[in-house]
Amino acid sequence: MRDILTRRNVLIGAGGVVIVAGAAFEAGRLWRKRHAPSPYDDLLARLDDRDADAKIGEAVLAETTEFDAKAVAAGLRTRLDRVTLAQAVAKDAAEGRLLEAHGWVVPETIGLLCALAVKAA
Amino acid sequence: MSAFIDARTIPEGAVLQPDLAIVGGGPAGIAMALALADAPFRVMLLESGGLTFDAKTQALYDGPEAGVPYLGLQASRMRFLGGGTNIWGGWSRPMDGLDFEERSWMPHSGWPFGIEALKPHYPRAQSLCEAGPWLYDKAEKRSPEQGPMIALGDGGVVTRWFQFSKMRGSVLPTHFGERYGDDLKRVRNLATYLHANVTRLGLAPGGAKVDRLDIATLDGRRFAVRPRHAVLAMGAVEIARLMLASNDVMRAGVGNAYGLVGRYFADHPIPRDIATLVLFDGKLAPYYLSQQLIDGAVMRAGLFPSEKYRRARAVLDSSITIESETKLDDVGKSAVAATAAAFGIDADNAVAYSLGGGCEVTPDPERRLTLDSGRDALGMPKVRLHMRLADSDLAHFRDTLKELGRQLLASRTGMLRLNMKERSQWLAGLDWGNHHMGTTRAHADPKKGVVDANLQVHGVANLFVAGSAVYPTYGAVNPTLSIVALALRLADHLRGRLR
Repeated sequence: MRDILTRRNVLIGAGGVVIVAGAAFEAGRLWRKRHAPSPYDDLLARLDDRDADAKIGEAVLAETTEFDAKAVAAGLRTRLDRVTLAQAVAKDAAEGRLLEAHGWVVPETIGLLCALAVKAA
Repeated sequence: MSAFIDARTIPEGAVLQPDLAIVGGGPAGIAMALALADAPFRVMLLESGGLTFDAKTQALYDGPEAGVPYLGLQASRMRFLGGGTNIWGGWSRPMDGLDFEERSWMPHSGWPFGIEALKPHYPRAQSLCEAGPWLYDKAEKRSPEQGPMIALGDGGVVTRWFQFSKMRGSVLPTHFGERYGDDLKRVRNLATYLHANVTRLGLAPGGAKVDRLDIATLDGRRFAVRPRHAVLAMGAVEIARLMLASNDVMRAGVGNAYGLVGRYFADHPIPRDIATLVLFDGKLAPYYLSQQLIDGAVMRAGLFPSEKYRRARAVLDSSITIESETKLDDVGKSAVAATAAAFGIDADNAVAYSLGGGCEVTPDPERRLTLDSGRDALGMPKVRLHMRLADSDLAHFRDTLKELGRQLLASRTGMLRLNMKERSQWLAGLDWGNHHMGTTRAHADPKKGVVDANLQVHGVANLFVAGSAVYPTYGAVNPTLSIVALALRLADHLRGRLR
């Protein structure tokens, strides 16, 4: 049997792997949803699915008469400073800071992040 | 064993003279008659109906209504031996101590006695209701093999337990007329009359005592009963009707010197699909969804505001039941996904459930019964119901549901959607418990109540009321068990009184 592990073949194979991986990475970037830059991207990065979460945000905003996005964002940055989102929402629930979104009782931090997702769109 | 007596066979114009006449063969009347089985006096039980449903007898209940849509007065009761137990669901649970207290946040609240007065009678009532061994909230420790209770953590809403009346085998619940008919026949000092309608309470001149009950049958026979003492043990509607209609001596009616008879009528609103509960892990013990056998009792769990929470937040009582699985809309799916993700919880197996329940209402003097100009087949005035439901009562219920939602989040167990907000939404899905209460409320002060702590009508020495008509406030649990306990307490009182 002829030896296929020649130096030439190994280089060709390695190059092919690099090309395929690079293509996959670029394709992922292309397929991922893009959002226009907004002043709240640092906060919205905490959400898993901004588009789906905007539905909740719309419902929160429908229940709110005044929503100052800049002030809300500033408040959320303070609240989320050095704590995880999980810790923040747990604290909301424990302390009764809740919002209603189309009847859903949600932690205030989630509700406000979702509302910012609407404002950022 | 003596047979029941058909009142249609009693000679016209006869006058019967028992020591005690109990009017109404429902759970209160039957419980009293059985409890007085060995008493040294003669008891008469007067039941309007027979042993089975009869449309002409049932039609005697008919009456007009106004206000908030309500069940037909004819449809929500049963006029034959057994009374309301002929259509009850068997749901049993004692009232809470707080239900009896005067509460600053509830106008007109406060019973003239506390739950301690009923506690000695609950075991016998439980037995008569055939609701199994007294477990209730002790079931919490006996149900682990059927799955854990919903983790709610600290908060205002807790799991509590109903027990169910079980007549025999798989027959739920106990129909008192059928179940205790033979027992009534065995009571030597008791005569049970069927088809006997009391159409008038005849007061002695001056109105200080009842000395005559006028009886009529649907075939036109009329006779009288002259008891030493009488107990009105019908439902809350018929008691008020009879007292108001008996107005030949006292123009306002019997026991109505202060215009209270017929006021404060109440029922438990039973709105459907009031909320959607989502459990992130989708696991729910079966006893929340349906009746389960636990340690010999048929039980089902519900969610209730604790007494501590009711005091702290000044809310009315309520009960929440988990009814069935339901589907989420897109917003619901997003809300669950976003919230679970924020907690770092996998909600792939989340399941949603529709919630039902019932709530207490604030005593309202304008939610009332009055006499109507129409007459029934016996010539008695019909009764008219003016039904009301306060927005604030519904708001209390919503607050409790929201607290449940908070607890689900705080314990990372799940979340909740409040399906009701506007009054129109509540009313669209509204049913009622068929729990007529409050028309002859108990209070030590005759200006604030029709009967006193012994359930004697103020100012009428030998007339008493048994049943939920005496409830000054209504709690949020089904009333039959407490009706029977109250009747047994009254039987004890009368045993001493007639000696």
